[in-house]
Amino acid sequence: MAKESGGSHQKNKKKNDESNEQGHKSHRTRKSGASAKKKSKSKPNSNEGLTQEQKKLNNPKAFAFTSTVKAKRLQSRATEKEQKRLHVPKIDRTTGEPAPFVVVVQGPPQVGKSLLIKCLVKHYTKHNLPEVRGPITIVSGKQRRLQFVECPNDINGMIDCAKFADLALLLIDGSYGFEMETFEFLNILQNHGFPRVMGVLTHLDKFKDVKKLKKTKQRLKHRFWTEIYDGAKLFYLSGLIHGKYTKREVHNLARFISVMKFPPLSWRTSHPYILVDRFEDVTPPEKVHMNSKCDRNVTLYGYLRGCNLKKGTKAHIAGVGDYPLSGIMALPDPCPLPSAAKKKGLRDKEKLFYAPMSGLGDLLYDKDAVYININDHFVQFSKDDGTNSEGIHKGKQRDVGVELVKSLQKTKYSVDEKLEKSFITLFGKKPNSSSEAPSGSVNAHELANQEVPLEPVEHYQPEIKDEDGESDEDSDTEDEDGLESSDGEKILKRKSSSGIMDDSSDEETNYASEQQPQTQSNFKEQIDFHEGRVRRKAVFENEMDIDNLKDSDEDDENDEDSSDGDETENGGDEHASTRSDSSTDDGEDDEMGNVSKWKESLAERTSSRQNINLMQLVYGKPSSKTSNEMNESSDEESEDDEFFKPKGEGSKTSKEGVNGNDVDLDDCSKFLKRSQKDWRNEDLIASIRDRFVTGDWSKASLRNQLSEVTAADNDDDDAVFGEFEDLETGQKYEIHQAGDSGDTCMNDDLAAEDRRLKKLALRAKFDAQYDGSEFPDEDDDDTKSSRGQSNGSGFFTKLKEEIELRKQVNIAELNELDEVTRIEVEGYRTGTYLRLEIHDVPFEMVENFDPCHPLLVGGLALGEENVGYMQVRLKRHRWHKKVLKTRDPIIVSIGWRRYQTVPIYAIEDRNGRHRMLKYTPEHMHCLAMFWGPLAPPHTGVVAVQNLSNNQASFRITATATVLEFNHAARIVKKIKLVGYACKIFKKTAFIEDMFTSDLEIARFEGAAIRTVSGIRGQVKKAAKEEVANKSKKKGGHAKEGIARCTFEDKIKKGDIVFLRAWTQVDVPCFYNPLTTALQPRDETWLGMKTVSELRREQNLPVPVNKDSLYRPIERKPRKFNPLVIPKSLQAALPFASKPKNIPHRRRPLLENRRAVVMEPHERKVHALVQHLQLIRNEKMKKRKLKEEAKRKAQEAERSKEEQLSKKRQREERRGRYIEQEKLKKKIRRNTD
Amino acid sequence: MSIKSEKILGRKRRRELSPRRSSKLLKTRNGISGSRMGKFSYMRLKGSQNLRLRLLLSTLSSTPILIDDIRADATWPGLRPHEVSLLRLLEKVSDDCVVEINETGTKLKYKPGIVMSGRHLVHDCGTSRSIGYFLEPLVVLGLFGKKPLSIRLKGITNDSKDPSVDTFRSTTLPILKQFGVPSEGLDLKIESRGVPPHGGGQVMLSVPIVDSLKAITWIDEGMVKRIRGITFSTRVSAQFENTMIHAARGIFNRSLPDVHIFTDHKAGEQAGKSPGYGISLYAETTSGCVISADTAVSYARGEDEGELEDEKKELSPPGDVGEEIASALLDEIEQGGVVDSTHQGLLFLLCALCPQDVSKVCVGKLAPYAIEVLRHIRDFLGVKFVIKPDPSTETVILKCVGCGLKNLSRKVS
Repeated sequence: MAKESGGSHQKNKKKNDESNEQGHKSHRTRKSGASAKKKSKSKPNSNEGLTQEQKKLNNPKAFAFTSTVKAKRLQSRATEKEQKRLHVPKIDRTTGEPAPFVVVVQGPPQVGKSLLIKCLVKHYTKHNLPEVRGPITIVSGKQRRLQFVECPNDINGMIDCAKFADLALLLIDGSYGFEMETFEFLNILQNHGFPRVMGVLTHLDKFKDVKKLKKTKQRLKHRFWTEIYDGAKLFYLSGLIHGKYTKREVHNLARFISVMKFPPLSWRTSHPYILVDRFEDVTPPEKVHMNSKCDRNVTLYGYLRGCNLKKGTKAHIAGVGDYPLSGIMALPDPCPLPSAAKKKGLRDKEKLFYAPMSGLGDLLYDKDAVYININDHFVQFSKDDGTNSEGIHKGKQRDVGVELVKSLQKTKYSVDEKLEKSFITLFGKKPNSSSEAPSGSVNAHELANQEVPLEPVEHYQPEIKDEDGESDEDSDTEDEDGLESSDGEKILKRKSSSGIMDDSSDEETNYASEQQPQTQSNFKEQIDFHEGRVRRKAVFENEMDIDNLKDSDEDDENDEDSSDGDETENGGDEHASTRSDSSTDDGEDDEMGNVSKWKESLAERTSSRQNINLMQLVYGKPSSKTSNEMNESSDEESEDDEFFKPKGEGSKTSKEGVNGNDVDLDDCSKFLKRSQKDWRNEDLIASIRDRFVTGDWSKASLRNQLSEVTAADNDDDDAVFGEFEDLETGQKYEIHQAGDSGDTCMNDDLAAEDRRLKKLALRAKFDAQYDGSEFPDEDDDDTKSSRGQSNGSGFFTKLKEEIELRKQVNIAELNELDEVTRIEVEGYRTGTYLRLEIHDVPFEMVENFDPCHPLLVGGLALGEENVGYMQVRLKRHRWHKKVLKTRDPIIVSIGWRRYQTVPIYAIEDRNGRHRMLKYTPEHMHCLAMFWGPLAPPHTGVVAVQNLSNNQASFRITATATVLEFNHAARIVKKIKLVGYACKIFKKTAFIEDMFTSDLEIARFEGAAIRTVSGIRGQVKKAAKEEVANKSKKKGGHAKEGIARCTFEDKIKKGDIVFLRAWTQVDVPCFYNPLTTALQPRDETWLGMKTVSELRREQNLPVPVNKDSLYRPIERKPRKFNPLVIPKSLQAALPFASKPKNIPHRRRPLLENRRAVVMEPHERKVHALVQHLQLIRNEKMKKRKLKEEAKRKAQEAERSKEEQLSKKRQREERRGRYIEQEKLKKKIRRNTD
Repeated sequence: MSIKSEKILGRKRRRELSPRRSSKLLKTRNGISGSRMGKFSYMRLKGSQNLRLRLLLSTLSSTPILIDDIRADATWPGLRPHEVSLLRLLEKVSDDCVVEINETGTKLKYKPGIVMSGRHLVHDCGTSRSIGYFLEPLVVLGLFGKKPLSIRLKGITNDSKDPSVDTFRSTTLPILKQFGVPSEGLDLKIESRGVPPHGGGQVMLSVPIVDSLKAITWIDEGMVKRIRGITFSTRVSAQFENTMIHAARGIFNRSLPDVHIFTDHKAGEQAGKSPGYGISLYAETTSGCVISADTAVSYARGEDEGELEDEKKELSPPGDVGEEIASALLDEIEQGGVVDSTHQGLLFLLCALCPQDVSKVCVGKLAPYAIEVLRHIRDFLGVKFVIKPDPSTETVILKCVGCGLKNLSRKVS
């Protein structure tokens, strides 16, 4: 039966799958064994095997609509679940390859952390790691890199690690159970944004009993779950084989890591940070030699994570302090992802790893060099075959590589020298070219129509001649190594200098001709006469770099400018005249003919290319170009006033006035200089007609469209293909970009369409990813259905769409820019490998640097380097044994920082007053105010009191979140002023000892006071001298601070009067950054001590105020004086009431005095009675004892009960508090 | 505080803005000594130019600034009354900001505090500059305060030098709304008007707080669909306004029929203390941009020396004023861009304060003040704009990635 049903089910499933393209593997029911039998037995129902539809068919009534209430409830539940699932979508601003994910391996000592890293590295790279020191970067997949970090065993290290971990592997000794380190680390993680966590149980081979093992696993798993969430992954490593974890388990673990997705954490996405994987001291050695304790310059290397890093950002080095970054540089990725070729898996070659601190990996990257580290015994130098080479060379063509290496060996100059020389020639060229240009033209007159083969290398670099003796190939290789780029540039420059003479059409042909590969390596200069002018056509054979192309463009411009000056010189008087009156009318222009026309076009061109100019205009010029630019600008001012003025900048000169001289310019946003156009003129109106809705809509729309297109397109293509004009003939070559011709527009349209499609595709992809990443734990069917629903709920999807669009726009806009501007505008992107240079760090940092302790460099946002008061909502950790005391220093970790500070605890009263608390409440949140570097609201805080490792108990004392920061602390505490009445009138009294001075009284005028007996009153004024005090005349000192007060009733002399007031509590302005990186790591950091610690150290007793102690209340029996009745009264009293004066008898009465002799009978009776009494007394005594015992037992029982009930009450109270807290939180949330 | 002796010989002015606060500060500094970041690194600046901008950016980025040589060589050295008034205003809205000025007023130290804002604040702006001078920084500052701001500003409402309050209402506030500032709570109420020389106007500004702004792409300037405006007159005949309106309409009529200019004649208490009149025009485009131009005419200030003969001079006739401003508006429209030249600075500033997204805006010719703003933004916030001219429309397109400023002073409950 079961089998059949399974089959049908499967079929059905399959059908579904086919319709959904790709389904998941269906569940295969057991067909044999115990579970199959059990199922069949437990469900004897006949229609068990039927599907839902079939059941419906069989019994339609059972599935009919029954209750509206139920349906409503179901629906509301469904929607609620749906809403719960949603999170506010966050924009992910990272682009490009992500930085390697940091896997922090944490655990108590001796649990196998290093071994796990070693095994994982071995698994990924097939390398054996001798020891784990510092972060180890590996390529784990085609799209993924990982960085393994071992978490050190002290609390500082743990805090730092928690701040950069993307995934934390918590290693737990299975044979021992959980240790405090794990929970401490978990708590730190939770408060600094909760990254992914995976537990790993080790030491499971210590269990001999399988059952016990199973039970322990179960127990630990559930404990782990309560700490994180139900179903958190706990991995088991069963044991060691040859001192390593079993391959299969490591493999599985690696798989788990490889599929893990990392949610963005809010702190980290808003702050850049770097986990330093290489550290170097770059202080000049002589400086260190002079003074070994001088401040050092260090460089830190690492992948940039979080968000983009801009220049000028301040950084906090955890454990050291805040430093400005004096140099940031992007380096090539030392551990790049493999190229995106389509293939399965990774090649062995691509399984890179990079661990400079471990001294592993053979490559060492520096600013400008890559070092290959080879062990000495592997090095075998090949012989330098200086003389022999000729023979071999002739006999047989050598391999190119061999050739290269040989030539490298032979080199006479170091790379540095070469670079220097080439550098000099590079810059020395510039004036050359300009000076050469006219002379060249002069020469060219003589060399008419003649091809001159140019050898640029020879021409510009005489020092290479030394090696010219070698073959052609050799010189080529020479060029290749090191001088290649400069060479290429030179060629280009050469070309551009020749291009000066060319008109732009020729230039373009040059560009075209460059593309054609030719066999010859040199380029030729072709000089010919053309239309009465010498032209030197440069024909290129070499390939040109795209980067160089841009450079050449710029150079082009510059050269044109400079050459323009030359031209004008050549032109002589004509040009001078045009210059002198450049605003001439048309007639004169016609006379000038071509010349002025080409100038016009130049002006146009410069105006179209003013992007650099505008940026420079606003932000000043980059320093490297200054010399050229300065010339240019001076040129502009002196002669080219009209031609080179950027169009958008009519008032440039005035602006220069602004930055130059007048620092006291009036501060006015209104631009008062107006062009005095007469807008009554019809023509002028017509010129802006299209700006109005009454104008031509199509033209206006075209204008907008164009502006968009040109903005979106890269600028350089219109720089190259834009309109230009033949300088000589005045012919216009327009590629109709601005005009109405269709093809470019169509092209643009197509491009735009393309872009749009790409965007859509990307968005779809993103959506798919996003949904998947958010709920990896949920059932797939579930997500599918819910996604269907969420499509209905438009808001969320709209929000997500908006964000995605935003992101795409960002990417599109930024990708347009060239690299340098992009970095200036956006900063360094996440995922780049950066080299940070930091100056003047204490030498201790270098001295005590320990690669085993990871170094974290975190960027600080605006205003985060400031200090001030901060208010946090704090709760003592429930595992910390004692409550916290106000003004006891604690060490807090906020943001990137760790520092010690002195908090004042407080609670907010109903009326918004912040009342100081001496101790933190037991089960409630309270406010804490302290002074320190500010962190933005919502930042998580972890507080620690003790940093030592040998402490057995839980080290995390409290957790908190930042509420606000403020420059003033407003915490108050209650104060009670006590006074005594010194003189009492009817309802007025003078109160002394309450205030110390009249000034104080003035402050408290009108304050409410009260006596112990409850009579209320008010402070009026300071008492006048004569009334309250003995006046000075009588010799008494006038006592200050006596206040006149009125009460609602007459008070007694013995009444104590209270005034209740609030006084401000100062929050100590103290904080002490934890400089743990500046001391040996095994030492515990010592900061400010708590009072109790000091007492313990100094062996001081706790000071006791005797007045505050409780004493047993001693009440003396009251002695009353005998009643005395006045004689007159006595006389008036009736006799019965009169006091009788009976004199005291001196002798007792006779009855008391006489002796009694008893009769024998009487004596017997008496004896009997006495016996009986004795018996009774005895009995009573026994009974009493018994009762005593009974009472005692009862008392004991009662006390026991009392204790129980007390305990219960405490529990109840605690529950109540928790409830209250929850309620408060809810209210707070609601009020938000 | 050290300054050359000859400078002290000039006018001696001591301005301790708040003795109470500074004494408190002194106390805390001398009090418990711990390791504190006692050394503020002041950003050093020179001259009195762009003081508003510097103070605003300093407060937003919480960088202390130190300005030297404030009109050191002028006949009347040191800070002007309106600048002092601005400093007082900053003290009013923020908590624990420290201002120190030397005796001659040529040196200013400013350590920003936290912007508290709050309600029922009153500030007298004086009569040396108009309220527009104070509104421009205040509205940006108010966005990043702890509480929503509502403040009553007294002084000159309309002036030829600064944007008038009418323009602020019609143009500046819509620009803010483009950046995601909620429109409820963002308001300027003109309670009475005042023109130079004696002022007497009152406005009520309320600014809501935001968590962060929203990056915008705003390059479509659209077409002008309507022109609106307002004229005012205080202590002069209401007929002046009609003349202005008539003249302005005469200019516009050939391009656009949809022109409505309202009048606002004030009398009695609401008219302030001096006679004057003025006009503020704005053009709305199909894409929601507002472009404005304004001016006001009144007698010159008495305290400006050397212009005594100007005081006798007649006010320029209202017809000319109307035409002039209408022409100015057409000038602005001709230039293109999504805002007029007056608001370029504000636009750039808001772009720079956005989250780390790309903002893209398009303006006409860059105004000198806007260029100063761009430079200061780079210095204080580290945001650099990519500036590209758009030759086809003769506008300039600016792009930037915002600095990601968040309202840090806002309280979290």
